Amino acid sequence: MSASLAPECNEVKERYDTCFLKWYSEKFLRGTAKSDECDPLFKQYEQCLSKALKSRGIDTMLKEARDDNRENDAEHMRPKR
Amino acid sequence: MVKFYSSTDTYSYPFPAVTLAYFLRYPNPYSTHVLSTDTISRHFDAETQRLTTIRLHLKRSKLPSAVQKLLPRSILGSSASGESQSYILEKSVVDIKEGWMDTESRNLEWTGVLSVVERQVFKRPIPTVPDEVKIFTGMEGAARRHGFINFSGNGAGTKVEDNGETTEVTSSVTLHSHIGETWKKKRQAAAEGSSDEEQPHKMGFLRSWGTHSLQRSIEKIGMTRTLRSQPNAREGMKVVLERMREGGLVAVLEGMRKDREAILAGRNLLKEGSRHTDDE
Repeated sequence: MSASLAPECNEVKERYDTCFLKWYSEKFLRGTAKSDECDPLFKQYEQCLSKALKSRGIDTMLKEARDDNRENDAEHMRPKR
Repeated sequence: MVKFYSSTDTYSYPFPAVTLAYFLRYPNPYSTHVLSTDTISRHFDAETQRLTTIRLHLKRSKLPSAVQKLLPRSILGSSASGESQSYILEKSVVDIKEGWMDTESRNLEWTGVLSVVERQVFKRPIPTVPDEVKIFTGMEGAARRHGFINFSGNGAGTKVEDNGETTEVTSSVTLHSHIGETWKKKRQAAAEGSSDEEQPHKMGFLRSWGTHSLQRSIEKIGMTRTLRSQPNAREGMKVVLERMREGGLVAVLEGMRKDREAILAGRNLLKEGSRHTDDE
């Protein structure tokens, strides 16, 4: 599995990634997924990661980029599909 | 000023396998510059069967020396040596019902100097042979349309069936330099009363060059890098897909583990003479 940018999150990331891959290949790709079964593990991973992002000052940069993205999406991608 | 690159390609692998490989493409022997990959948000819409994922990649990057020569040290700051790390934000949507995956990656830093937006759209081809014909050619007709991956019990045994399915991919890269534009705004702000200490130096530098020719030069350098790195990105995907075909998910994960160890140990995963570039 790929590494997390925060080494302290590697363990919980690995648990989430393993769950996701199983769900993705066995349920999602077959079109039989009813819900995201790995969400509880994602919440744990997210908790660890958000601390790491904050301490590295990446959280504000991310927020700006995602806000920009949303604007761009609204502007350019609306008529898509 | 904007530069645009676009290409199309066909993977000789079924669509579901390609989407899985996309999520598992780092690390691979062609991506030793990718240091980490984190999922920062994921949303599954049960009604549309769409999965939206946002990931953050950290890559080791090197500012091309040509760019370093163009920019004064005051702008380069800590990256003046050329070595730095950069964050890439990747958004993807997979629609398994309609058979497409739409992905977009963009750099988070240096966007003023050069913003690079890479878009890849993967599509399950529309069958040229009607489904009814396929049914007569064998009972695996449905599997040919939907199966592609053989789910034998647990997910670890997931294998890709080589059934001749292909996936179409359209890639595009948009390069846009805004360099000088924020300083124009700052100059306006300065005229209105506020001041900026660094301004005289930057403005002098820009006047000597001309904002537009500087933007053009930077976009051109970005395009050169893009053209050089695109084949590596493709090869990386193919390595992951090949592993999936050979030994399923187990082989992909084992390959990733080995690549990760090699990257940590600083070993070059590729043979001598086939050097990879430090960007994608």
